[in-house]
Amino acid sequence: MATTSSALIPCGQYKTTYRKDTTIFPTPATRAVAIAALVLLCLAPLKIGGVELLGKYELNLLIQIGYYGIAALGINILVGFTGQISLGHAAFFGFGAFASAWLSNSFGVPVFWAIPLAGVLTTLVGLLFGIPAARIKGLYLAIATFAAQFILEDFFARAKWFTGGSAGTLAQPFSIFGYEISGDQGYFYVVLAYVVVMYLLGTNLLRSRDGRAFIAVRDHYLSAEVMGIGLTRYRVLSFGISAFYAGIGGALFGHYLGYVSSEAFTILLSIQFLGMIIIGGLGSVMGTLLGTAFMVLMPEGIGALSRGLGGVFPALTDGLAFVKEGAIGLAIVLFLIFEPDGLAHRWKMIKTYWKLYPFSY
Amino acid sequence: MKGNLFSAAAAAAVLIGAGPAAAQGIFVGHMADYTGATSDVGKPYGQGVADALAYVNSHGGVNGKKIEFETVDYSYEIPRAIATYKKWTGSQKVAAMQGWGTGDTEALVTFVAKDEIPYFSASYSGHLTDPSGKGTHGSKPAPYNFFYGPSYTDGCRALVQWAAGDAKKKGIASPKFVHLGDNHPYPNAPKAACGEYAKEMGFAVVPPIQYSLKPGDFKAQCLSLKESGANYAFLANTGGSTISLLKSCETVGVDTQFLGNVWAMDENALKAAGDAANGVVFVVGAADWKSTAPGMATVREISKVSDPSGNQYRPVHYMRGICSVYYMRDAMAVADKAGGVTGPNIKKAMEQMKDHVPAELQGVCIPSTWTPEDHRGTTTVFIYRANSKGGAQSIEKIGESVIPRKPEWLGW
Repeated sequence: MATTSSALIPCGQYKTTYRKDTTIFPTPATRAVAIAALVLLCLAPLKIGGVELLGKYELNLLIQIGYYGIAALGINILVGFTGQISLGHAAFFGFGAFASAWLSNSFGVPVFWAIPLAGVLTTLVGLLFGIPAARIKGLYLAIATFAAQFILEDFFARAKWFTGGSAGTLAQPFSIFGYEISGDQGYFYVVLAYVVVMYLLGTNLLRSRDGRAFIAVRDHYLSAEVMGIGLTRYRVLSFGISAFYAGIGGALFGHYLGYVSSEAFTILLSIQFLGMIIIGGLGSVMGTLLGTAFMVLMPEGIGALSRGLGGVFPALTDGLAFVKEGAIGLAIVLFLIFEPDGLAHRWKMIKTYWKLYPFSY
Repeated sequence: MKGNLFSAAAAAAVLIGAGPAAAQGIFVGHMADYTGATSDVGKPYGQGVADALAYVNSHGGVNGKKIEFETVDYSYEIPRAIATYKKWTGSQKVAAMQGWGTGDTEALVTFVAKDEIPYFSASYSGHLTDPSGKGTHGSKPAPYNFFYGPSYTDGCRALVQWAAGDAKKKGIASPKFVHLGDNHPYPNAPKAACGEYAKEMGFAVVPPIQYSLKPGDFKAQCLSLKESGANYAFLANTGGSTISLLKSCETVGVDTQFLGNVWAMDENALKAAGDAANGVVFVVGAADWKSTAPGMATVREISKVSDPSGNQYRPVHYMRGICSVYYMRDAMAVADKAGGVTGPNIKKAMEQMKDHVPAELQGVCIPSTWTPEDHRGTTTVFIYRANSKGGAQSIEKIGESVIPRKPEWLGW
């Protein structure tokens, strides 16, 4: 039954074991495409035969998508999979950046180890601020995490020993066993490795027992509690894990810019993370990456559009900054109205359309 | 499907735009803040830079070569500034950059040093004045950072000097000095150094009071100011928030003498603050619009680039933007004759300037000197006072101070 058509999307439910049901990629074809895309990304920055597919500008954008994507997966695990709400994600992102810089500057920890250690430190902070989540829900939890955002922001601006105060701190470039990786090309591979590892870990988490517990807490917490899933334990754990992802993303961000300053981690960034997962699709791992790509590429797209249309609509070039700001908000509103399940759902609809063509009704 | 078409169009737009334009001439990246926290002063300065660059191009360029420049509004967000920097350096050879704020300038110090791109900032932070890192206060090396005008710290020192004289005249036995500003790199830049200098000059330095860069209600801060009994208060923020502070303090009834940094007070802020700004003493770093210096003829011509009627009154920051561009142009002209307009050549040309004033701007820009060891262009500070009584407003120069170039003050 599953021999000839195993590469295509099956026309029914033919899985016979749980193992087959919880594969990361639904079909061998999608797995092959994903691996091919990964290989292409690995080869793209190199100059092969005088052709360089990705210049410095494109690499910069992809690196941004990478570290924001890791942090966005963290908040998607928290909001999309566990049903909590967090308005303090940017603060954890910043904590990871500062922690990694602090570890490598004050203790001489090599950046290679400083990044995961920063993730662990951020997890501890996340667990701390996740404790209110055990008892409060909804809007009240949002305000509690809002408080976490401001507490940490103020901490960043004042703790000279940790963050260098309001002046910020320099972050050392990435190095593996003494070999320093400088420049966007090298760093692209570092970020790509982290994205692959973190996303695989995330997907694995969600098909494990704890991941299913998260989803149960989201869907019907009363039933979950009745079934024996400890609400406190899993809500706090979810905060911790999302903080881990934010910390890793932040550490990568810090070492990429080479400079970490507290004004980069404002409430606006927290809202942007929420925007990324709303646009991408709550509760979808692939959607997280799509949503992050959308948020990163949209200002650039608008800039390109204004350059192209600048001759016809000069007002667009003059007011470009305003248009960029407004566009992000407009995108969130439009997605909530027309596609509340996000880009992931839209992509699934597109695939289904072609799969069922011409009988797509 | 609607979704399909929209996403296809967006993807096409990104792909079309992503292909960067290769610059043939001399490329200068201009970063400005037109919409962010410091846009109240960012607009006139940025306009000055943009107008000056356009004017230079239409009047001979750099030895005949045109300067290609791109103005990007980064809204005072450091990550956006860094992304813009990477975009420019990734797609073409950047000859120099005209930057803006302290946060992003200090963030880019190591980048521009590595990429060898001279960075002319509108941040006059003392931390940018030490090219080799030899300063005694642990300043990091900033070999490719230049700025036209006195540093924030030297400006503050000049105001403290004036205040010391004023206190003696008024017979205040032990005057108190306080620093007011946001907890942010730009207002913090002169805090420590200026506090130390105030102590040297016989002031008792009271704990600093914080007020946000964003305008708001600052009556609480004014009450703290009143309670502290400070006689002289240094305002380290830009005009927008300073207006709010002055108005709040007028309501509360504070009789402290306010001393403003170079961005705290200008003609626009004076108009908005009204009588609350009467008597504020502030730093100016170039000629003001009403000056009759010979170079002002060029400035008025440059102003016509964005204001053809020539009737618009330009605040003091506009002139400094022009000076910043013209010093860069002069350095590029020298570099061009010395082997090409490249970063290291421009840096060398800047570091050879001694009491230099651009030829077309005599009397507008303060004579400036840069050396390979000292990037304090000028330590001359113009001190102005704002007057406003019942609608009659003016700014008048009340003094000029030359701060000694002490080696221990380098980078601080």
